[in-house]
Amino acid sequence: MTTELTVNGSPRAVHNPPMTPLARVLREDLHLTGTKLACGEGFCGSCTVFVDDEALASCLVPVGSVAGASIRTVESMATPRGPLAPVQQAMKDTDAVQCGMCFPGILTSLTALLDENPRPDRADVETALVGNICRCTGYERIVEAALGLGTETGAGA
Amino acid sequence: MLTRHRDTASSVLHRPVTVAEAVDLLADGSASVLAGGSWVMRGEIRGDGFADAYVLVSGLPELLELRRTDDALVIGAAVTHAQLARFLAGDPHLAGLSAAARTSANPAIRRVATVGGNLATIDFAAADLVPALLALSARVTLVDAAGERHLALADYLASRPDAAPGALLTQVTVPVTPGLTVHERLTMRVAGDYPVAIVDAHVRLDADGLVDEATIAVGSVEPVARLWPSLSSRLVGAPLDAGVAEATARELAGELRGRDGVEAQGWYRLQVLPTLVGRAFYTLQQETGQR
Ligand SMILES: Cc1cc2nc3c(=O)[nH]c(=O)nc-3n(C[C@H](O)[C@H](O)[C@H](O)COP(=O)(O)OP(=O)(O)OC[C@H]3O[C@@H](n4cnc5c(N)ncnc54)[C@H](O)[C@@H]3O)c2cc1C
Ligand code: FES
Ligand code: FES
Repeated sequence: MTTELTVNGSPRAVHNPPMTPLARVLREDLHLTGTKLACGEGFCGSCTVFVDDEALASCLVPVGSVAGASIRTVESMATPRGPLAPVQQAMKDTDAVQCGMCFPGILTSLTALLDENPRPDRADVETALVGNICRCTGYERIVEAALGLGTETGAGA
Repeated sequence: MLTRHRDTASSVLHRPVTVAEAVDLLADGSASVLAGGSWVMRGEIRGDGFADAYVLVSGLPELLELRRTDDALVIGAAVTHAQLARFLAGDPHLAGLSAAARTSANPAIRRVATVGGNLATIDFAAADLVPALLALSARVTLVDAAGERHLALADYLASRPDAAPGALLTQVTVPVTPGLTVHERLTMRVAGDYPVAIVDAHVRLDADGLVDEATIAVGSVEPVARLWPSLSSRLVGAPLDAGVAEATARELAGELRGRDGVEAQGWYRLQVLPTLVGRAFYTLQQETGQR
């Protein structure tokens, strides 16, 4: 079955059975491997992408259900030679990243939070990240980085 | 007849544009409802597999209604947890339901998981909205080829295992009566995982501040959420008192059968349940200023 989508601003047609998880299509058909597919059942958040501006766990989204939608992955946040998005730069500045596996999802969840609430407090940041599991960092620097961004407007994507 | 496949490769997806069309597609029982997909899509990993065909209902305008009058709340089955939480924010009469919608699962799941999906998932004991809606005496509307039916939520839950396939849950109606509501849940990690036990209460006080009416519901302890009428009736006629509520719940806890699960054993759920009842009543006490 052919599903037409807009991915990171470009029209794309993919040919998968309609119940195929969007995360798999992004990684295996469109080679957008920034989106990770770790738990495959909604718990870890590593597959979080924007679907029509809502940050969703793409492992649980059947590709056929989002025909016509606009998808934004972590690859849309910055061009290879351009500046990083503020949320990415904040992670770099606070030296928050370790293995990096969880970060595409964390950046997406934090972008969603900052779009909705440009000045989150610690509880807001922690609540926004309950669905993003990081096995390396202990979260503290990630939260600090996000709180630092709260003084700017939005995270940009 | 529903057949199951191990992975997603063989399933067909129908995208009806009206409820009538969805009901037609479901009529012969060979297709299953797909709403947010947050439960269905775990089929490969959890070994539940996938149906031959799904009927996608999450975009149907008729299922997206969200309306509050003075005495009722109407929730379309495809309304997501996040939409419901936003709609109910600050509603003094529906604080319990609002908390259930706002704190279940995690933000990404709440943005897709629907109210209908939460009530219709038979194998899911830890659904937050189910006890929240039971405590509010909610009713559900089902539509199938034979027409429309209205059932009390408790009756719907009891009927689910034997129900013939093909019915679409379209709407939940919540009577809004005076009183206070609360939703208490215990998770092992503070947030993001399934609750070990859930307590919802709807309490009305009389002019002297005594409990005039109480409806208490328990989720995640037994395989299906249930009302706890004996506890409710024991608390009527007395002041709101968290200590008394907890002690009474401990005395009556033997009426429930705790289910074993990976996150907790049945005995543990029963052990923490009275504490959760106490917390729920403490919250209610704080709201009324009775401390
Ligand atoms: C990581 C994770 C954590 C979670 N944590 C929680 C939690 O803490 N609390 C909680 O309450 N829930 C939790 N859930 C469960 C989630 O709330 C349910 O998966 C969700 O409510 C189901 O809704 P859905 O729209 O995604 O349903 P779907 O996955 O689309 O469907 C689920 C089932 O319901 C049936 N169905 C759906 N809609 C209808 C309808 N309108 N009429 C008839 N049948 C229908 C489907 O056929 C299917 O059998 C969690 C889920 C995940 C993945
Ligand atoms: S891979 Fe989607 S939440 Fe873990
Ligand atoms: S940095 Fe390794 S999982 Fe988060």
